[in-house]
Amino acid sequence: MSAPNRSFAMPKFASTLEFRMLGLAVVLAVILSFISPHFFTERNMFNILDQSVVLGIVAVGMTLVILTGGIDLSVGSVAGLTGIVLALLLKEFPIPVAIVLAIGCGALIGLFSGVLIAVFGLAPFVVTLGVMAMGRSLAYIVSGQRSISGLPLGLQDIVYTTVLGIPTNVIFLIALYIATWAWLTYSKGGRTIYAVGSNIEAARAAGLNTLFYSIFPYVACGALAATAMTFSLAQIMSADPIGGNQLELDAIAAVVIGGASLYGGRGSIFGTLMGVLIMVMIRNGLNLLGVSPFWQGTAIGAIIILALLAERLITWKSRRV
Amino acid sequence: MADSETQEPLLEARGVTRLFGNAYALKDAAITLRRHEICGLLGANGAGKSTLSRIVCGHLSPSSGEILFKGAPLAVGSARDALRSGIALVAQETSLAPDMSVLENIFLPSYAMPGRLSFGQLRQKAQAILSELGHDHVLPLDMEVRRLSAAQRQLVEIAKALALNAELVIFDEPTASLSPTEVVRLFDIMARLKNSGKALAFVSHRLEEVFAITDRVTILREGKTVAEGVPTAGLTQADIIRHMVGRDIGNVYRKASSAAANEQPVALEVIGLNAPPTVRDVSLTVRKGEILGLGGLVGAGRSESAEAIFGLRHRSGGRVLVGGKEIPPNNPIAAIRAGLGMVAEDRRAQNIVPDMTVGENLFLAQMGKHKGFGRGHSARRKQARDLIARLGLPDDRMDANLLHFSGGMQQKVIIARWLLIEPEVLILDEPTKGVDIGTRQAIYELLREVAERGIAVVVISSDFEELLGICERVVVVSDGYTIADLPASRLSEESLTLLAAPRSSAERNAAFLRDLVTSHGGTAFWGLIDEDRFVCLSVATGKGDAPMGLAAGHVYLAHETAIPLALERRKPGMVTEEDGRSTLLTRLSNRRGHDLGWIGLSLPSGSKLPDADALSARMAGLFETPQDDEIDA
Repeated sequence: MSAPNRSFAMPKFASTLEFRMLGLAVVLAVILSFISPHFFTERNMFNILDQSVVLGIVAVGMTLVILTGGIDLSVGSVAGLTGIVLALLLKEFPIPVAIVLAIGCGALIGLFSGVLIAVFGLAPFVVTLGVMAMGRSLAYIVSGQRSISGLPLGLQDIVYTTVLGIPTNVIFLIALYIATWAWLTYSKGGRTIYAVGSNIEAARAAGLNTLFYSIFPYVACGALAATAMTFSLAQIMSADPIGGNQLELDAIAAVVIGGASLYGGRGSIFGTLMGVLIMVMIRNGLNLLGVSPFWQGTAIGAIIILALLAERLITWKSRRV
Repeated sequence: MADSETQEPLLEARGVTRLFGNAYALKDAAITLRRHEICGLLGANGAGKSTLSRIVCGHLSPSSGEILFKGAPLAVGSARDALRSGIALVAQETSLAPDMSVLENIFLPSYAMPGRLSFGQLRQKAQAILSELGHDHVLPLDMEVRRLSAAQRQLVEIAKALALNAELVIFDEPTASLSPTEVVRLFDIMARLKNSGKALAFVSHRLEEVFAITDRVTILREGKTVAEGVPTAGLTQADIIRHMVGRDIGNVYRKASSAAANEQPVALEVIGLNAPPTVRDVSLTVRKGEILGLGGLVGAGRSESAEAIFGLRHRSGGRVLVGGKEIPPNNPIAAIRAGLGMVAEDRRAQNIVPDMTVGENLFLAQMGKHKGFGRGHSARRKQARDLIARLGLPDDRMDANLLHFSGGMQQKVIIARWLLIEPEVLILDEPTKGVDIGTRQAIYELLREVAERGIAVVVISSDFEELLGICERVVVVSDGYTIADLPASRLSEESLTLLAAPRSSAERNAAFLRDLVTSHGGTAFWGLIDEDRFVCLSVATGKGDAPMGLAAGHVYLAHETAIPLALERRKPGMVTEEDGRSTLLTRLSNRRGHDLGWIGLSLPSGSKLPDADALSARMAGLFETPQDDEIDA
């Protein structure tokens, strides 16, 4: 009698935008495989997935924040700081304990931002800008301005263990996206995030816990930044105070390319995944083609602007109909 | 058993006060809602109806006062607690999440309730609710709310409240954007809710609707309850309006001598202004030195009209002429250079630049008009000083921050800003909003002085007493149309309120009048009779009848019309005037016997007279079988 539930989970408009991005990712992959013989190799594919893990995990947190209409500029420096903290903790504690403590540290920083934003009503941009500066500065102070190496070898296991031939970090990424997608789509909490971003007054009038769901995304974002850094450390086996530099820009770009609105309320985790893949493929392609890293910033910047412009043109059109 | 339940109030609010800044939005308001009853909540613009509704539903917390629900104090200021106790609100400014689907919006409150969500079940429940509202096919559940029309959003808002299955539902102007068919359906649902033992409150400006659906009414005036729980059956439109309007302020107005105003040239002419969605067809003319009032209810399209005239709002049709020259649409600078000035409604948001000094604020419009590169302050310094002195501001405070002054002072500075550019026409939107009575008087004086200098002034005000006090002529806007243009001396606050009220039956009645004159000839009219005045709401003249001089939107004294005897007697059957003209007047009332004005057919002498009783019955039957039901059948 009634239509299947799937259409409820994915409103037509969002799905078309997401699938347009999927199309863009495929087109990009095809073009790159023609330009560079190295692109479409098994090794490079795993390389892309590997590179997607760090950005992908951070982008999940960023998606939650942006869905509520906020922004978190501090993820890069929170990742850098928690990386240093993790490296130091690993010298004192067993690996799992150190990881949990480092992630807790990231969550705590997110809680700090979230409370300032949701309780005191400060602008998310300004609060997280401040936290970004503090995080980076603390990373230098705590590390003594040098990178920390000599991490326990066991840490590598979280990256190099494979299940059915797939590295665990990639499995974690996929699991995280599926879990977040299910949570955002089918749980009350996930839908409350959308309601808060779309019209916080309506959410409050409906009796939803707007305070909790305004703070929670920042906590998740901080915790996920620390998680991403854990995987990064396991790959490179050293922590640098400059680690995670400019990660926030890539994460915001990925979310926005994925169709999320910076005004909140619109966006999806699937779109973010597409955004992450597009960002990583562009970087990977530019590297394979030997483009100077200095030019890469121009390319990424242009993509963010084009994505925003496209969103604006689309919403204009739908408003006129 | 059922009876004692009826007597016990479900919700009782006493002495509710709410401050916004320093201004009282509510001052000692009270309301009682009982099961098996619909209570109308009425009041003029800004009387506090919405504030009281929002406090009861926990969206706002009161500054003081107590609210008892089922005899126990209700936790105030928490929407969640109110929802859990079973109190729901159909909000006026739709509180929907635009990016979410219709289904999700309907069940938004369920995201805060414990238990598992089953989207399949919710979908079925939503279908059932929408089909009750008659919209199961037209309102797709998966559509994003921002793609819906205003009426559809209103329906989602209603469905949202129904889905809560609440014991008490407050409908805050739910019919504002609904069609008559939808209104009838909504009323059927409200009646069913009432019969099933719920308590309902109904906020509306439409008195006809209040009479049609409510059992009692509570009336607010200036944040205070002036009539509580009065049974609707014993009231007339006039009673309600008298309560709503009240009399408090003494006479602060001094009428300008309006002599010879008609000979002045036209300063501003607006023809068929159209700026969707709120402004549909607005026309007005102001002469030099005249103060014209633009009256109507909040939301009727007055401010929007002013913004469209000035170029701040997209104008899609109509012409605006200043001093006979047409000005282009959507271009405020062109409007300013043509001689238009506008003091917008929201002082804080639209007029003041908070971080600039009094002087800089004063010169702001002048910077727009003036084409040179420099700011050109010094050239006008002297003129500014003169103005400042006239406003009663010491001129050594030109460099102070404007925010340090009172609201009234700020308003004077803003008005002075426009006087500095020496406009031909000055439009003021709610110039005395949030201003104390003393400053009000000073602003009235200032406006009259401005008019005496030959500037045409247009004043928009929700305060009808003010409008009638300072204006020589009033143009009434209702639902985006100009419906009346009258000298203020012909109007009273009551007749203005009647004119401004949007009427669900207006179109149906106009069609009926046209039918009448096609079958019988003569002139048919619909209007209100208020002692010796006749307020004409609609008129249709058949072929072959000399016009009777009646025009819609005008007020006449009975003895001025061609039918003084008929208007005076108001008896069944034909009344023949001295000149042989025969008139049949029939009182209109709705199903519950409330006054909806009079319908009349007037035939010139020598016409073939129809059977009076049959015709009367036909006229009176206008509300027995509403067209809506026929459409549905």
